[in-house]
Amino acid sequence: MHSGYEFGGPQMKNVKKSRWLIALFALAAVAMLAVACGGDDDSGGSTSAGNDKPLVIARDMDINSMDPSRAYCDTCQIYLSATYDTLIGLDPKDNKTFIPRVAEKWEGNADRTQYTFHLNKKANFADGTALTATDVKWSFERLANVKGSAAYFMDGITSIDIPDPQTVIIKLAASDSSFLAKVNATYAGIINSKVAAANGATNGKDADTTDKAEAWFLKNSAGGGPYTLANYTEGAEIRLARNDKYWGDKPALKEVIIKQVKDAVTQRQQLETGDADIAMQLDPDTAKKVNNKSVTIKEVPSFNFVYIALSPGAKDNKIDLNSNIREAVRAALDYDGIIQVTLGGGGKKQAAAIPNGFLGTKNLPLPKRDLVKAKQLLKDGGQPNGFEIDAIYPNVNVYGVDFNTMMQKIQSDLAEVGIKLKLQPVEFTVWVAKIRGDGIPFTAVYFAPDHTDPIQYVQYFGMVPGSPWSARAGGKATPLINQAEVDLSAKALAANSDEEREKLYESIGKEMIKDAIHLPIVNPNLELAYRSNIDGMHYSACCNLEVARLKRK
Amino acid sequence: MGTYVLRRVLMMPVLLLGLVTVAFIVSRTVPADPLSTVVSERQLSNPVVVHAAEKRWGLDKPLPAQYVIYVRNLLRGDMGTSFRTKQNVRQDLEDRLPVTVELTLASMAIAVTVGLVLGILAAVRRNSWVDHVARLFALFGSSLPVFWTGLFLLYIFYARLGWFPGPGRLDPRAVGPDKVTGMYTVDSLLAGDLGTFWDALQHIALPSFVLGWAVMGIISRLVRASLLEVLNQDYVRTARAKGLTERSVIITHALRNALIPVLTIIGISFAVLITGAVLTESIFSWPGIGSYAVDSSRALDFPAIMGVSILGGVIFLVTNLVTDMTYVLVDPRIRLS
Repeated sequence: MHSGYEFGGPQMKNVKKSRWLIALFALAAVAMLAVACGGDDDSGGSTSAGNDKPLVIARDMDINSMDPSRAYCDTCQIYLSATYDTLIGLDPKDNKTFIPRVAEKWEGNADRTQYTFHLNKKANFADGTALTATDVKWSFERLANVKGSAAYFMDGITSIDIPDPQTVIIKLAASDSSFLAKVNATYAGIINSKVAAANGATNGKDADTTDKAEAWFLKNSAGGGPYTLANYTEGAEIRLARNDKYWGDKPALKEVIIKQVKDAVTQRQQLETGDADIAMQLDPDTAKKVNNKSVTIKEVPSFNFVYIALSPGAKDNKIDLNSNIREAVRAALDYDGIIQVTLGGGGKKQAAAIPNGFLGTKNLPLPKRDLVKAKQLLKDGGQPNGFEIDAIYPNVNVYGVDFNTMMQKIQSDLAEVGIKLKLQPVEFTVWVAKIRGDGIPFTAVYFAPDHTDPIQYVQYFGMVPGSPWSARAGGKATPLINQAEVDLSAKALAANSDEEREKLYESIGKEMIKDAIHLPIVNPNLELAYRSNIDGMHYSACCNLEVARLKRK
Repeated sequence: MGTYVLRRVLMMPVLLLGLVTVAFIVSRTVPADPLSTVVSERQLSNPVVVHAAEKRWGLDKPLPAQYVIYVRNLLRGDMGTSFRTKQNVRQDLEDRLPVTVELTLASMAIAVTVGLVLGILAAVRRNSWVDHVARLFALFGSSLPVFWTGLFLLYIFYARLGWFPGPGRLDPRAVGPDKVTGMYTVDSLLAGDLGTFWDALQHIALPSFVLGWAVMGIISRLVRASLLEVLNQDYVRTARAKGLTERSVIITHALRNALIPVLTIIGISFAVLITGAVLTESIFSWPGIGSYAVDSSRALDFPAIMGVSILGGVIFLVTNLVTDMTYVLVDPRIRLS
């Protein structure tokens, strides 16, 4: 028997096989080339002009939930403000003035313990049914009872009365001048109670265990906002369709898509090529590299800030971080240099743990570097030769600030007065475990506002009972309390005029500076980066970006 | 062979249980706080919110109880709800896996095709300019970090030249095809939507090349080395002596034998690419398993971490089995036992 290799037949078969292989390779090469040359083809995308063309927002999304009562994130604020109406809105021109929305008018009593909202009869949901006081009460009760991260917005409510379908009366246990700011927040959006209840939602006292609607909200919205949820693909996109039954001013854009784009450089590229209309997280360095006449870059102040925090009462602390030492750290930092190194100058110094632009911050003294003073303070504090301390901080890049870069600069600044920082960047979850556990003597973190009232900073950063930082700074057993802050914040919550509140918050700010627990490093500017044919681009203190205000020129 | 395969398949659940146990212990013993994913950092001092979250996510129970509950649910096909996405983990994996499989298959197709051609050419034209170029190409592919290659190629071919589309699986404004397999190229073809197919094909080209380049380099070098070794064997000399064309000698006689070690690499690479596509997925905004795994790990999303571990384990076990079976098909001298 012959081996098959010796004769023409099998040989021919082999030649055919090899030809087939060559043809396959050639096909692959042609396919690659064809694909390469076809980059500009716009098939598959809607390309109709003007406002019918979907608007694309490139953003690194941080969605934790699509359920308005459980959501709590920056992207959530954009999504919720588009799909759920709130009782009152915020004027984006000054980010301070409340404007009518579902409530056409409202009033508070003299001591700020009762608020009455009069709803607009025209208000409705996306399914066409009327938005009434019942839905407001149900939504607020659900927000409180599911006990999510934004549940505290409803703290202090003793009753919600609805004498008629257009009136909501909310009574509070104590004065709260910040209540309007809370109901303006996107988390207080009004849900269509019938639709939500039919899909597993409840406002009952036991809603934290009995409410089963969160998964339903991933695919559906149940609000009365200018847009409805058309599609949500986790890690990819949020697609919003115009609510054609919207009772207020109808939005111009037919469709808005928020696309997941992780890094700032890719966001910039998409913006420049026109694949994206808005890039939401360009840092100043990346923004400076934009060289395209079709793109507009505007730097605006933000309400975010980055700070370092000193906790003398942290369990592992071996240094006496008394007030002189903390002031020495403040005086040793080169704030302008840090802002330059981290943001290319795109930020501002901040006096206290209440960001620039909030009530009461206008006249607060900004920190400045003074090495002589820092050395003297170290001496007065009992550490004339400086000391060594671990700096444990989350390894993150937020608002364009790379924490490693920032901490290296801080390390170098403090070394000039003899303070040696041992930098320990950790994952955020690890940082949380440490700060919740034994505390961290020297750390760095960031903060963005939940609403537009300064009381949130006192309740979080202030040395007042119940504040997380009061316990972190002094230790769980011996929280630090500054009685002046306690008294002033009580007065501020009961105050009736903005003038009075401004004075009170300024005094609180000064007390927080004296505490020297939080040393704000930078209040970063925000880069508004968008195609020049987009009109209405803004930064909103309540909502980050209200997409209903956008349109094409 | 049938008995061997059956034995391997029967061993899988045991191995997976071991994997689940190890993954459970490791993820639960890291010094981090999973509550930070379900409760905002600001509310972690609020005992009411913290208690509600612990109860809801089962974190209030002791670890052994959590383990028993998890395994019991797993046996019923319930992988739990992700802390982060709030979806059932099985649904998450079903959504994410086809994305990565599509990217990986495209990468493997490019890597194997180009790797084989380059390897053969480099072996046949040893020490010529073709060999040097192939070596350089392989060297770059194996040594350049994926994140750098991805960003660089995006900058050149998308941002500067406009030859390729940008990140994402389709044009940013386009709507994906109806889900059948979850792979856009396949689903668009099934729907007869050639426009979307072309869009998907353009979008997959660059990321799959970036992901496949490293494997391509390894395959080409391995094919070259293996082929050179085989080309010196007696049976190849005999084939030449019998008057066969060089092409026939290489393709039919030498390459088939040279492919055995290459198959091992292809099998392993497939599993590695599926589980290691994270950087490519992140750079090109592909919502696949890789980015899901990393985001879940960073958030200490226990159910998702467990789900990804199980999926990764299954992929490795299956690919290893398939690779072993392929040996037999390629080389009848090998017998599985």
